[in-house]
Amino acid sequence: MDALLKLDTHLENRHAQLKALKDHGRKIIGFTAGGYFPEELALACDAEAICFIEAGNNTALMNAGGYTCRWFDPFWRSQIAYLTSGKDPYYNIADLIVVPVTDNHVRNFSNVLGYFTPEKESFVFGVPHVKDKIALDYYLKGITRLRNRLEEFTGKEITDARLKQSIDLCNRERELFRQISLLRKSGEYFIQGRDFIKLNHGSYLADKEFMIDILEMYLREIKETACHPKGGPSLLLTGSTLAHGDSKVMDIIEECGGNTVVEEFAECIRPYHETVDTEGNLMKNLAESYFMKRVCPGWFRPGTERLNLLIKLAKEYNVDGLIWYQLMFRESYKVESFFFPQMLKKEAGIPMFVVESEYDAMEAGPMRTRIETFIETIKR
Amino acid sequence: MLVAGIDIGAATAKAVVLKDSIISGYAIRPVGHDVKIAAHGVITEALKNTGLSITVDKLDYVLSTGYARNTIGFAHKSATEIICHAKGAHFLIPSTRFIIDMGGQDSKAIEVDSEGNCINFIMNDKCAAGTGRFLEVMANILEVESMSEMGPLALQSDEPCIISSTCTVFAETEIVVLRAQGKDRKDLIAGVHRASASRVHSMATGLRCVPDAVFTGGVAKNTGVKKYLEEEFGINFLVPPEPQIIGALGAALIAQTHTANISRD
Repeated sequence: MDALLKLDTHLENRHAQLKALKDHGRKIIGFTAGGYFPEELALACDAEAICFIEAGNNTALMNAGGYTCRWFDPFWRSQIAYLTSGKDPYYNIADLIVVPVTDNHVRNFSNVLGYFTPEKESFVFGVPHVKDKIALDYYLKGITRLRNRLEEFTGKEITDARLKQSIDLCNRERELFRQISLLRKSGEYFIQGRDFIKLNHGSYLADKEFMIDILEMYLREIKETACHPKGGPSLLLTGSTLAHGDSKVMDIIEECGGNTVVEEFAECIRPYHETVDTEGNLMKNLAESYFMKRVCPGWFRPGTERLNLLIKLAKEYNVDGLIWYQLMFRESYKVESFFFPQMLKKEAGIPMFVVESEYDAMEAGPMRTRIETFIETIKR
Repeated sequence: MLVAGIDIGAATAKAVVLKDSIISGYAIRPVGHDVKIAAHGVITEALKNTGLSITVDKLDYVLSTGYARNTIGFAHKSATEIICHAKGAHFLIPSTRFIIDMGGQDSKAIEVDSEGNCINFIMNDKCAAGTGRFLEVMANILEVESMSEMGPLALQSDEPCIISSTCTVFAETEIVVLRAQGKDRKDLIAGVHRASASRVHSMATGLRCVPDAVFTGGVAKNTGVKKYLEEEFGINFLVPPEPQIIGALGAALIAQTHTANISRD
């Protein structure tokens, strides 16, 4: 696919491009994964927004040992390692780091950010774990404070016109992701799971307008290419986090003849099902979309909204099985993995299988045995 | 038709040669430092044990399983050990519906249908407790010379010690503490067996454990683990005559179902 090759080239040069922009006065806003930072706010004050989505390297994890305990989510330990290493190009280039605190793992990261790298400008705000009026107001206040900080930091006022323009841009990106994803539902097109993930990951670092061009190009290419759906079992892949650099589970699934046709992750996969309204109070609309409409991650109470979404996706995408990709020590997901298989079997009639990772190289063999067996089992 | 199944596990290599659905020969040997040498050695030995003058290249089909299944050059195809254990156990005991397989490095619980297909399974995760390795570490600290002595010693105990740690390293520390308290060696050994069985039982929660249940893998030769598994699960476990070759046997059975006209790697 030319679109993917073009994206690769852009990403190879992206850091240099950001550096050049920074040298000319453009601010670089880095934000942590989780989907609660409205990128529109950064774009509306003419800043670049990049998300920290790299993980999967066990050596990096070891380097977090001086800042946090061993029993923590490996993705967030990786972020701590990259942040404190002083060697990560994207953490280094960010002028301001925005951290929407979604759970204790993210809070730990924000603590390290404050205590161990005080020279880094940061903005931390909380994300509630329930969806009600009070929680919505709290989130709205958080992003309003963020807006004020961004205006002050960049020296650019976020006018309604600029904000609307940014929302339109991000809506277009979300809409394109949705259209591409929906093609997988029809069964007429074959989109390799790892390609969809690549687009998703790329969108967190790429220039927004360039990314929209890439998505449009990819959509055209998929529609024009006579693709035959792959014969292997169709899978739904879910979990808390699917980081850039953590391709083990996707690779094994594809090597074993499985085909990921839909995925659901709280971190590092962009929520694209909902767009933001562009009429009325735009800040309220952002809060409504990013907090209320977006299906919540596993740490929300109650967790039924996400589980019901998984059942809905399993049915709509006509999957043969669900793989629950569990990062070790992400306990909110772990507890659900015990009871959800029964719920899924009852509601959607498909099996679920849990694989666990701590980004360890030695996991690959046993993980492959498990996934290969699961795929063999559902093939029959 | 002459086919073979080869199972390269963490500690031992196993091979089974089938001639027209009958076990014609088998062999078991340590893996050692090189899986390819182990694979050649074990298949050669299994062929020798058939009493037939035949070399590996004359076999109609070879199917590999176990951790090193994808590195066996003379195998036509591979399958996971979970699938193979289900097939192998069902072949010997057609009423098999549930399997506990305890090997050198991992343990598995497998639900099996009436055709010998795996329908659900679970494997231990990043933990040696409930594996042969756990028992080896404990045998070492308790100065039991041979692993075959462990089970009978465990059965002599009337009051097994409680080993609460699920981690092998911490359990070893716990044994040191209990030994210092003057606990009887056979009670310590029994405690180790019960802890191992308990870990496997806990892992298998969520699977349907129904008769006939079969215990496979090298650890199935240990009568102490069998006893405590039966206590934990509340059912009897059947142990095939040579439980260590069940994966290789299953691989050979799957090999039989494949046509022979596929070129080797």
